[in-house]
Amino acid sequence: MLDSLFNPKSVAVVGASEIPFKWGTYISSNILDGKFKGRYYPVNPNIKEVFGYNTYPSLLDLPEAVDVVFVTTPAKTVMQILQDCITKGIKNIVMITSGFSETGAEGIQMEKEIITIAKNHGLNIVGPNTMGIVNTHCSLYATGAITRPKPGGISIIAQSGNLGYQIMEWAESEDIGIAKFVGSGNEAVLKIEDYLKYFNGDSQTKVILMYVEGVDDGRVFIEVAKETSLHKPIIALKAGRTEVGSKAAASHTGAMAGSFSIFKGVMQQTGIVFAESPRELLTLSAAFDSFPLPKGNKVGIITLGGGWGVVTADECAERGLSIPQLPHSIKYELDKRLPPFWSRENPVDLVGQPDFQLFKDAVEMMVAHQDFDAVIVLGIVGSKVFAHRAAEAVYNLGKMQKSVFDDFKKLLYIHQKEFLDRLIELMNQYKKPILPVSLSKMPGDETVHSDGGNYKVVIYDSPEEAVLCLSKMYQYHNYVEKRSRVYA
Amino acid sequence: MREILQRAIANKQKALSEFDSKSVIKLAGIPVSRNYLAKSREEAIAYAQKIGFPVVLKGCSDTLTHKTELGMVKLKLKTEEEVARAYDEITSKGVPLDGVLVQEWLDGDNREFVLGTIRDPQFGPCVMFGLGGVFTEALQDVSFRVAPITELDAYEMMDELRTKKLLGPFRGSPAVDRESLAKALVGLSELVSKYDEIAEVDINPVIIDGNKPVAVDALIVLRQ
Repeated sequence: MLDSLFNPKSVAVVGASEIPFKWGTYISSNILDGKFKGRYYPVNPNIKEVFGYNTYPSLLDLPEAVDVVFVTTPAKTVMQILQDCITKGIKNIVMITSGFSETGAEGIQMEKEIITIAKNHGLNIVGPNTMGIVNTHCSLYATGAITRPKPGGISIIAQSGNLGYQIMEWAESEDIGIAKFVGSGNEAVLKIEDYLKYFNGDSQTKVILMYVEGVDDGRVFIEVAKETSLHKPIIALKAGRTEVGSKAAASHTGAMAGSFSIFKGVMQQTGIVFAESPRELLTLSAAFDSFPLPKGNKVGIITLGGGWGVVTADECAERGLSIPQLPHSIKYELDKRLPPFWSRENPVDLVGQPDFQLFKDAVEMMVAHQDFDAVIVLGIVGSKVFAHRAAEAVYNLGKMQKSVFDDFKKLLYIHQKEFLDRLIELMNQYKKPILPVSLSKMPGDETVHSDGGNYKVVIYDSPEEAVLCLSKMYQYHNYVEKRSRVYA
Repeated sequence: MREILQRAIANKQKALSEFDSKSVIKLAGIPVSRNYLAKSREEAIAYAQKIGFPVVLKGCSDTLTHKTELGMVKLKLKTEEEVARAYDEITSKGVPLDGVLVQEWLDGDNREFVLGTIRDPQFGPCVMFGLGGVFTEALQDVSFRVAPITELDAYEMMDELRTKKLLGPFRGSPAVDRESLAKALVGLSELVSKYDEIAEVDINPVIIDGNKPVAVDALIVLRQ
């Protein structure tokens, strides 16, 4: 039902402009500069053209009934625009305009009228008071704040435009792919559960990321969330964890924030994975979008150094993951490759040997073994930074030729790439997640490694991040597994 | 069950008495300590004999709150004389009562839990399970679900407590009968889903008798 809204072939912007820092300009320039793959029509009776496109005085003058209209003009103009949409046969409206239920009695009344019109004429209205929408897969970047994450599998529903914007900025700078975005605004007509339902059926959406302040109809929300999370993971941050936060939420969009402990229960009951912060929202979503789910909680750890392994094992234990004994067969194999003083237990400490082949083989031994559901690899990724800087110091002191140093850098890059490619191969083969934690990163180093296939590798900065993601993926797997057993 | 609720509403009560509250939750499948409502000293003694000593006596009325502070709770009464004296003391406070509750004394093992329900403006009736007794509010170790819940939900609520170790074998006591707790939570969820008259249920404490959870106090608040 919302497909023509999120996958439009043609769009119009009412109030289109080219004067910097106006909403009609933000939306138009973002659509055009973002290389939207469909047709664009500016509507504005006061100017002739917008960024080289001839304007139309009103929606009624357009050569076609566009799939989506973006409305950026003041609240008092909105009723006429809706009438024009009805006359023209336009069904989807993204109402950027603010000044409705978030502002007081008069605004509430106007919003009620919008709801009535939408209901009577079957209009899909996003907002009002929305940041806009994005569909990376048809290059539709139609938000007020300009951010252009690359296409991917995460779709975002944000009850706050700013928060959604920030998450997309992070995604863009960290190379995390986004499928769609909607700032749900005041949710006068389309509500969070409508978007959930749509993303559940959307083939480009693998993971749903949600920022929630409140829901209007709790019962409907629960039904939709339950149904959705059996098919796709929903990662949510709920605002208003404390009383101060709750008050801020209530005054923010007019949505009433329910008490947090009850919402937490709702999330447990519906299988929603909950995040504690905006940062965590994106981190968790990227993990769910990239790795196969672990089928159990048994983790194998491989580390370049002892202390790191212990810290990671502690994190695992605290988050409900287990660290089983190292199987004899693996001990036997590694005995042949490692000095006699090696740990001979899980975490496997490869005693500071930055040997890519050894790491590849050790990872495969662990991931192939039935005693492990997931593997965390600490430190071989990013060891190139260590080697790079060691070589650079010698080069700077004039004891290494530039060509040798350059070749060495290239080689380091290739080794790391091959290692990450191997992790993807192993994940495809064994359907178990393998999470690398980087020893160190340099500017320009990738955070997500992909070969374009189904699975990707997220490179973590810290063991606690990797363990958090793994534990949440395990909990989600468990939720779905238990329910499918009950309802099978 | 509806009878009890409707009689209370007709009487313009804000809540049910402990005796009525327990009758309702018992019908909903929650194990409740044996108790009778005595209207006279003789009845109290007869009920005590029927239950077997020791017993507990409590003043019972739908308007009675803070009954411990008012001296309306007499614990572990071992003889007929003690029951008679307790009855006289409770009824001499000048507080109007439906009668005096004669309840079996259960030793318990210091593990106390709370079961309850509330109505949330967004989600409707919700069920709660958590650590009970005097630490309920201080530790706030509770888990909520929106009713109706399944047994699976109930088990997950138990697993969610920070103090879930208390449900396992603990200091010489056996593991708590989780199935019985799960059934109680599901029963409670069905109760509040079915009866709009109920605003809140508070069952605190639920003590552990052997391995069985038993409610020894309960309060049902009615919707106004």
